[in-house]
Amino acid sequence: MTRIARRAAALLVLAALVTGCGVTVYEPGVYKGEKDPLLAMHAKPEHKAQLQERFTKGQAER
Amino acid sequence: MARMKFLCDSERCIECNGCVTACKNEHEVPWGVNRRRVVTLEDGVPGERSISVACMHCTDAPCAAVCPVDCFYTTDDGIVLHDKDLCIGCGYCFYACPFGAPQYPQKEAFGVRGKMDKCTFCAGGPQGKDNSDEEQQKYGKNRIAEGKLPLCAEMCATKALLAGDGDMVADIYRERVTKRSTRPQSWGWLTAYQEDV
Repeated sequence: MTRIARRAAALLVLAALVTGCGVTVYEPGVYKGEKDPLLAMHAKPEHKAQLQERFTKGQAER
Repeated sequence: MARMKFLCDSERCIECNGCVTACKNEHEVPWGVNRRRVVTLEDGVPGERSISVACMHCTDAPCAAVCPVDCFYTTDDGIVLHDKDLCIGCGYCFYACPFGAPQYPQKEAFGVRGKMDKCTFCAGGPQGKDNSDEEQQKYGKNRIAEGKLPLCAEMCATKALLAGDGDMVADIYRERVTKRSTRPQSWGWLTAYQEDV
C-alpha cells in the first residue's frame, strides 16, 4: 500500500516538474471574456451620429 | 455624446405592455424570462402609476461589482453587457440589482439556474461577429450595431419609454415636465445613474 502511495507521489512530483506549477492570478473586477466587436464600432463618431439621428427621428416630440 | 439611458415617463405609460411584447418578439426571449416588464404602483387606487422596468445600465453597476467571475463589461456609451460563456449562474447579480433585472431560464434542483439573461439595450453580447447566429441565439438581436435603438422604446405608442443619448432624453423629459407644470418623476434615475434629470 505504501509502495503505491510512494509511486503516486513520485508521479505527481514528476508531473509538476514537467508541466510546471505556475499559478494563474486574475485581476479582480476586470472583465475576462471575449472582446465585443461592438466596442470598436461605438468609438466611431459616424455610428454615434447615426444613433442620435435615429433618436431624433423616432423618439423626439413631433 | 453622453451615455445611453432609459427613461420611463410614468405620466404617459398606459400599461399596454407593448414594450414587453416588442422585446420578447425581437430577441425571441424564452418562456419564463422577461427582460422588460411593466410594474403598476398602487394598482386600482386613484393616481396609480405604471413604469416599464428593465436593466437600467447603471453607471456604477452593482451586478458587475458582485460578479465572482467578472463576466460584465461596460461599453463607452455606458451599456452594461455580460458574457454568457463566463456566467456560472450564481445569482449574485440578481440580489445586487435594485431593479430585479437579471433573469434565469431554469429552475432545477440544487439551485441550478442556467446562464443569466438581461436586457442588453439591444446591443447583443461578445459572441463572434455582430448579429451572428451565435450572438442572436444567446443575447438576441444587436440593433445598436445596425444603427438602431432599443425596440421597446421605438415601439412605445405614447413615447413614455425613451432610450438613447442621456442628454437628449433628459431634454425631452424636461420639456414635458415644464409643459405639464408638474414635478419631475424620473423613476430610477437617481438609483441607476446617481443623478436626476
